[in-house]
Amino acid sequence: MRVIQNLKAIPKVQKFRYGMILLASLSLLGPLAFLPQLVGNDDLCGQLCMRRFYLYFPGMTWDDFFVHVNSATIGVMAFAIILITTLFFGRIWCGYLCPVGGLAELSSRMLNDRWKIEFRSLPQIQIRYGYFGFYLVAMPALGISACSLCNFITIPRLIEAMSGEYRGMIYLVSSVGLVNLALLLLLGVFASKGRAYCQFLCPIGAADSIVNRIGARLPFAHRIRVAKERCTGCNICARNCMCGAIKMVDKIAVVDQMSCMSCHECVDVCDWNALAWTAPPKHKHNSPKRIKKNTEIFPLPDWQAIHIHPVKEEAGRVLPQISGVSIFNAMVLLTVISVIIVGSFL
Amino acid sequence: MVRSFLLLFLLLLNYSAEANPRYSDPDGCLSCHAYEGLNFIDENGVFRSATIDGDHYASSLHGSVPCKDCHRKVIDYPHKVENTEVDCGASCHIEEPSEGVKYSHDVIHEEMDKSVHADGWYKGLTGGNRLEELETEQDPSCRRCHSNTAYIAEMQLEKFKEAFDHAETECGNCHQGKAWMGQFGGHILRRFVGRRWNNIENNQLCIQCHGDIDAMRDVKQEDVKTLEKHPPSERFIQSSESYTKTLHGRLIDANSDFGASCIDCHAPDGWKHEIRAYTDEKSASHPDNLAESCGQSNCHAYSKKPGNEGFTMTDMHSLSLLGLSSMEKPLTDTDLWQSNWFRSAWPLMIAGIVFAIGSLIWWFFYRTDKKIIAILGGDRFERVMIGRKPKKARAKAAARKSRVPKAAVTAPEIAATTPATINQDAATTEVEKTPKKSDDSEA
Repeated sequence: MRVIQNLKAIPKVQKFRYGMILLASLSLLGPLAFLPQLVGNDDLCGQLCMRRFYLYFPGMTWDDFFVHVNSATIGVMAFAIILITTLFFGRIWCGYLCPVGGLAELSSRMLNDRWKIEFRSLPQIQIRYGYFGFYLVAMPALGISACSLCNFITIPRLIEAMSGEYRGMIYLVSSVGLVNLALLLLLGVFASKGRAYCQFLCPIGAADSIVNRIGARLPFAHRIRVAKERCTGCNICARNCMCGAIKMVDKIAVVDQMSCMSCHECVDVCDWNALAWTAPPKHKHNSPKRIKKNTEIFPLPDWQAIHIHPVKEEAGRVLPQISGVSIFNAMVLLTVISVIIVGSFL
Repeated sequence: MVRSFLLLFLLLLNYSAEANPRYSDPDGCLSCHAYEGLNFIDENGVFRSATIDGDHYASSLHGSVPCKDCHRKVIDYPHKVENTEVDCGASCHIEEPSEGVKYSHDVIHEEMDKSVHADGWYKGLTGGNRLEELETEQDPSCRRCHSNTAYIAEMQLEKFKEAFDHAETECGNCHQGKAWMGQFGGHILRRFVGRRWNNIENNQLCIQCHGDIDAMRDVKQEDVKTLEKHPPSERFIQSSESYTKTLHGRLIDANSDFGASCIDCHAPDGWKHEIRAYTDEKSASHPDNLAESCGQSNCHAYSKKPGNEGFTMTDMHSLSLLGLSSMEKPLTDTDLWQSNWFRSAWPLMIAGIVFAIGSLIWWFFYRTDKKIIAILGGDRFERVMIGRKPKKARAKAAARKSRVPKAAVTAPEIAATTPATINQDAATTEVEKTPKKSDDSEA
């Protein structure tokens, strides 16, 4: 009975979101794999691969790039569609459709919180783009196949293995499969809210969040926005945010558009309507809702997507919140760690 | 009358056209060799047939070539068996019209001579129908791979026909004359149409021998520098088995154009016969030359570029691939107990037991607790994302708070001025403060 109560307590939008993830999983993953089979695939590799074509091999030319694009035509088109929808509506693919991150999230949400590891407070932008740089440049240069650390092959193979197919079992028996399984468990199932893999290691997510951040300034872009004057600092949104995108700065919720997936959960849990998934407001800043007998009544909410709050100051100079040096440091560190991991099974 | 005569003439013409063989036997060899049952037992005790099926020969690759062009030592009848030996390196009947040079297989022989299979070629053996070589000889002769097959491979026939129809207009514009169009045209076209075998057939040729693991164990490998013979390595013995497990082999099995066949990597250049040991510095599969071999056109083009040295480090004949051999019943195979999977399953199992026992303990003792913190990083989350003070500072603040009301209560001047009422007030505030303090520490 408690299970039913808990299910009923899920906000309406989140129910829709979980349903969308399940639907996408059914149509993209085995045993049905309905969409991949339209092009004769039963997994998300080959023509459907979205994560390989932008790798940089030292000395490669544009011709090589177009060879890569040609061999993964549908993946490239899907990637372009994802980026375009992100520009307008936020990271809809990541939050509402992606079966790989979605399944990890759903299985994590079914697990009790006491077993979770809290990854959300780590400096995720540095780690994400450090790994992204490693993935784009260092991995091809070191001769490591980018497919050896890919979640888009792990989840389909895992489902195949569970249905008893030999290819999936043999993948999981291999050392590459074991490393990927460990990453899936640590950063997916046993991570708080289950989105740590998406936040740290997913290259699609990394490219997507750049677009999300760039688009946040555009006048038509739907994003999760905060009305500062309504926020009471109750921090329930920050606790529920699965991406760790909301941070309490001076007791006001601040959304990091580099990490936000527009999953809408913060809007559902906020009692004060201080967050909303909207386009920027048309009215001027702090303009009153109506003026009655020269009295301003209740200013309209000023939906803000980006909050500039410089935290570091050095000799009167305002430093950016995230420096390129820190990203480079993370990249070097991650390269060393990954070489050790990958080297152990070469 | 005239009409019936014409009909008869046409019939005769038709008959004569059909009766003409593709090539008349000018030396009269077939007058004996056409007989069925022309058998003998040779010096090795092998039962041999000397019968030549005329139709079968005429439709073969060398169907238009007279017997004596190759069997040169046979001059008169009767001839000795030893004189029938054929040298594939000798010059042929075909003459290149522009230069007048006779065609020869010698270029291929020269290339073959550099390869690991070099001992397979020597005069006398290669042309003959030597059945015993299959059992005794380690190196393949020409005939082992090139039996007297049809001149145009079946897979190319349609393509060849199409090219042949246009040959007169396209090639014939420049290369006029009977020598070009009549005799040489077909030979050139055969070359233009492309390779005789597809990748699957190429691999079958290699795997015919190299797939026989027991036979490969008996092979004597030759050291490139010292020329010493030594028994083969396990990697060599299992080479075809490990190849079929790689993506290269599996793509070709799936009839894809993207797979790499054996000779694509081992003899990529020239006439595809120069297969050297990978320890040989001139070998295409030598580690120094791998970048060039992998970077052939349409393959891994950027492996040649600096900075991609790691690309060629993948072992395409790794023995670890053999573990994938039992695809039918992978989990009943006893070998799996020694595999990494079961070794790495131990920590997984221990973690699973901790997980199960911990869950039980939580279920029995703590399930009514409302407050659940993550096992790792929960405090950091509170500090960084929520903006609360660290745990120690919070505990200190709580302790300070609990001290403050006590000090207020024991203040001597308050006790002195209003003894009864204020003391009561202080007592109530203390009662109020204590639950609030515990609230703070819990929240």
